[in-house]
Amino acid sequence: MTKRILLCDDEFHIVRAAEIKFQRRGFEVRTASDGEEAWEIMQNWVPDVLVTDCQMPRLDGLGLVERLRGAAATADLPVLLLTAKSFEKQYRERAEALRVLRVMAKPFSPRELLIQVEQIVEQSPRTATSDDVALEAGSCN
Amino acid sequence: MPRRDEDHTNVNQTMKPSTANTCFFAATLAGVLAAACAFVAGIWSSNLVWSSSLAGVSVVLMAAGIGAAWRLTRSTRTQRAALRYLESLARMDDAELRQTSEARSVAGVDQGSPWYAVFARVRERLLEQGRRAEALEMNRAALEVRARRKTCEQERIAAILGGLGEPVMAVDRYDELVLANPSAEQLFDFDLEHSDARLVRDLVRCEELLDLLSDTRRHSSREKTRELQLAAAGEEPRWYNVTARALEEPHEEDELSDESDASGAVLVFRDISSHKELQKRNAEFVAAVSHEMKTPLSGIKAYVELLADGDAEDEQAREEFLEVINSQADRLQRLIQNLLNIARIEAGVVEVSKKPQSLNDLLEEAFNVVQPAAEAKNIRLTNELSSMYLGVLVDRDMMSQAAINLLSNAIKYTPEGREVVLRSRLVEDEVEFEVEDQGVGLSEEDQQRVFEKFYRVKKDKSMAAGTGLGLPLAKHIVEDVHGGQLSVRSELGVGSTFAIRLPNAGQMS
Repeated sequence: MTKRILLCDDEFHIVRAAEIKFQRRGFEVRTASDGEEAWEIMQNWVPDVLVTDCQMPRLDGLGLVERLRGAAATADLPVLLLTAKSFEKQYRERAEALRVLRVMAKPFSPRELLIQVEQIVEQSPRTATSDDVALEAGSCN
Repeated sequence: MPRRDEDHTNVNQTMKPSTANTCFFAATLAGVLAAACAFVAGIWSSNLVWSSSLAGVSVVLMAAGIGAAWRLTRSTRTQRAALRYLESLARMDDAELRQTSEARSVAGVDQGSPWYAVFARVRERLLEQGRRAEALEMNRAALEVRARRKTCEQERIAAILGGLGEPVMAVDRYDELVLANPSAEQLFDFDLEHSDARLVRDLVRCEELLDLLSDTRRHSSREKTRELQLAAAGEEPRWYNVTARALEEPHEEDELSDESDASGAVLVFRDISSHKELQKRNAEFVAAVSHEMKTPLSGIKAYVELLADGDAEDEQAREEFLEVINSQADRLQRLIQNLLNIARIEAGVVEVSKKPQSLNDLLEEAFNVVQPAAEAKNIRLTNELSSMYLGVLVDRDMMSQAAINLLSNAIKYTPEGREVVLRSRLVEDEVEFEVEDQGVGLSEEDQQRVFEKFYRVKKDKSMAAGTGLGLPLAKHIVEDVHGGQLSVRSELGVGSTFAIRLPNAGQMS
């Protein structure tokens, strides 16, 4: 069954490299350049795993995850967080509280990212299907 | 030495001068009367022998009386000389006493007389006392000078400490505050002169500082330094580098010697807030630089790996990957070049070659450099340069760089199909050129911060890749190197105008 992945980063080339890697591995890939765009995509399309950058315009990575945890359809969505800066303690604590599964430092290897994501997907009980229900309006906090 | 006339006793009051003469005349008269009586009695008795005997006795008596009178007279003279001498001694000051020769002083008194030795001893004692008094006087004067010098020194030190902006305090070995300059009093909010409290722990309520103090005093030969954040009453906390140095204090005589291990200490506070701020900014700068470098590096690394893993499906994909690697390498190079340029300008080590030249010529060159980028993005780049000759005294390469940076930014952040305009004009005594775009515009905050290193407007960030150094570099070139002004005016959703003003260098010579 095709796995879905949503890649979210404001650096177009980074997203594009990861997109190529995952597409060649058979993933169904969607991309977003910030948290708001990712949120909009997930209103109609829920992935099996979300890979998101931490620092982004409009809505940052942790802000996006917080919003997702408040919506029923994405409350348990596996998330991998990318960050260019050393992950400071308060963010790490917040990430743990938001049940972020992995944190990867930039610059990252697409190969390594693929391995990490495949592990997450294997361990996840969630099975994505093409007729996943859209997030119900008003379910976010 | 003052004369002590009040102590002087008049010789005439103690010894009548006529006493000796009176004795002498009385003895003579008694002798003559006795001789006359003997002679008359002899004649009257016709006894010559008796009368002669009586006369002889009378003569002997008279001689004895005369002798006694003479001795008495002589003795009286000695006494009078002695009294005069004593009187003169009493009147003399030290200098006169020293100048007075012994022989002259005791003139009139035989050297064999017991008086002579007494007078000599009295004179010596007086001279000795005078010498002692003089030595004491000299000591007193020397002490007075030292005391005055010490007072002046203390006043000078107090004035120096008072003038110091850096707080300074000193404690003695009993933990009592003995010195605090006004800066220290202000920092810890106390008034040492008018305070009943003296113990440092009552006046300075900062445990870290008290720990530092006791730590230093326990190791009296040591100097210890600590960085502390302290806040004066009603003020923001500031960072201080506090140096505590143990001071060996001299013991007073009445103090116990078993306290010799204890010592006082002096505390000097150096305000390092600006240094801390600089450190913080440097750390932020390094973090920002590393972030900006990691981003293109991430791209390079990712696409190299895709190529290595054979993820390029065809030749077109491979070319796409190589193009990304190339563009990210260029971005990294631009970032490094801009960083170096900014660092050189900030450090004042950049070589500047200012020459009078035409601003319009310089701008036309910059215009031509960015024209291809505008065409590629379908942006209308318009030239509205002044028809007047605008002379400027600038480093051509640097000012071109500033103009290109403004034009590139405008093209980068203006949506396709819109317009970017380059203008120049004479404004009063200055020349001005500006780049107007039809981009998304800047908020008030963005206008304030757009010249900060690595600050990138969030909306712009998603529109185009940038180093966040183009505008800061342009500002440095215009303002720090050329004494001009770079400003921005903008309206959200309408566009932005970046304007550069430079001093008018007049006509080309």
